[in-house]
Amino acid sequence: MSAGIEALNVYCGLAQIPVRSLFEGRGLDLDRMGNLMMRNRSVGLPFEDPVTNAVNAAVPIVDRLDPAERDRVEILITSTESGLDYSKSVASYVHEYLGLPRSCRVVEVKQACYAATAAVQMAVAYVASGVSPGAKALVIATDVALVDERAQYAEPATGAGAAAVLVGEDPRVLDVDLGAFGNHSYETLDSARPSPSFDIADSDRSLFAYLDCLTNCFEDYRSRVEGADFATTFDYLAMHTPFAGMVKAAHRKLMREFTGTAPAEAEEDFTRRVLPSLAYPSAVGNLCSGSVYLALCSLIDHLGDAGGPQPDDRARVGLYSYGSGCSSEFFSGLVDRRSAEELAAMRIPDHLAGRCALTFEEYAGLLPANLRCLVPDQDRRIDVEAYEGILDRARIDRDLLVNTGTKDYHRTYEWLSYE
Amino acid sequence: MTVREDVRLVVHQQIAEILPSARISGELHLRELGADSVDRVEILLGVLDRLGLRAPLSDVRDVPNVDALVDVLAERVS
Repeated sequence: MSAGIEALNVYCGLAQIPVRSLFEGRGLDLDRMGNLMMRNRSVGLPFEDPVTNAVNAAVPIVDRLDPAERDRVEILITSTESGLDYSKSVASYVHEYLGLPRSCRVVEVKQACYAATAAVQMAVAYVASGVSPGAKALVIATDVALVDERAQYAEPATGAGAAAVLVGEDPRVLDVDLGAFGNHSYETLDSARPSPSFDIADSDRSLFAYLDCLTNCFEDYRSRVEGADFATTFDYLAMHTPFAGMVKAAHRKLMREFTGTAPAEAEEDFTRRVLPSLAYPSAVGNLCSGSVYLALCSLIDHLGDAGGPQPDDRARVGLYSYGSGCSSEFFSGLVDRRSAEELAAMRIPDHLAGRCALTFEEYAGLLPANLRCLVPDQDRRIDVEAYEGILDRARIDRDLLVNTGTKDYHRTYEWLSYE
Repeated sequence: MTVREDVRLVVHQQIAEILPSARISGELHLRELGADSVDRVEILLGVLDRLGLRAPLSDVRDVPNVDALVDVLAERVS
């Protein structure tokens, strides 16, 4: 039985700000840009929310399904730390605007940046179990950013957007190694979102937990997978990316612990096995729940670029997902030529290049409205046309869902036509 | 040399390797010596490695300054 990712796409917004502009605008120490390894951060616009991001990520996948295939989407799971209501799920809106069948299970899950991987693993197990042959499950990790200058150096690293992951029996994008996984979870308060309008974070607590969990997850993985070796089992690695420099530190840690390689000697291995996964994360920022899947997209679109196996060579990828609070998982799967072809159809490089580059003043002007994105106002109207100056500078080549406000707490949406 | 002096030497050597221009003071936090989060990780991992310890990073998260870090590590070594 094969099960895994049949299709994968990301939506990373319509705007971005160069990290240097943000450093300069905030008066941050430019010497710290080196270890951050970030070029841009995606910036949501006030008419984008967890629903629009999710739908805009998943539409290109759903549109490629024929009606019979669409009817086999039996589970829709949204994973988010940007919930809109204590009871009503983001998934309920997403189900409507994607036009998925009414026979579909609809649910939302939460465990900070890890939840999407829990959902993907449960979906893979559902498909592999054979209880409903031919079934598909759509997992969408979707988030918005609630950061401003209070976040200090985390602000330039925080992204926004969504990753849509279609799970099924024909794993064209990632053939998941069934039964090959390792987990580590314990209670900690390293970062959290105690209200709809701000985050709290203890950077050292979070980064150290991320790194400790990685070691423990890999040890758990190794206990399940006979002969697993960090240096030789995985041709590539794709990890949750709080910022690209953190992944570099994580790689050095595991090379030191599991292969005895000194940090200076790990550079070549990092360039070959890890760097291809960081091209998109360093251009987007932390995509939260979708982060590891953005890293996987980056890797597949850059297979072989830095001396690793080419798309024609079947390659094994080790994936690491971490979510504050905390829970984490190391798992693996296979990619090949079909993965590259399937993902190329999503044209992610065009999407990322087409985002409007904001000035610092434009960026700062957007933040107050963005910080209200999740606040449950009974009635609110969002004037999409007020942002035409930014929209005109973004390359939009398909219809996009936009949030036009709330009416009696019910969120309202419209399709923004690109023509 | 006492165990604490050994550990102090290792900690100071590792800080100097990652932050060559830092003027090390035991009363300062690594952050105050100019270490960003990645530098702090590299310093702590390097120290643990040199001392042959396999302690979780989270165990040394809350130390207030370099001297306190030395104390915690010296206790573990001995």
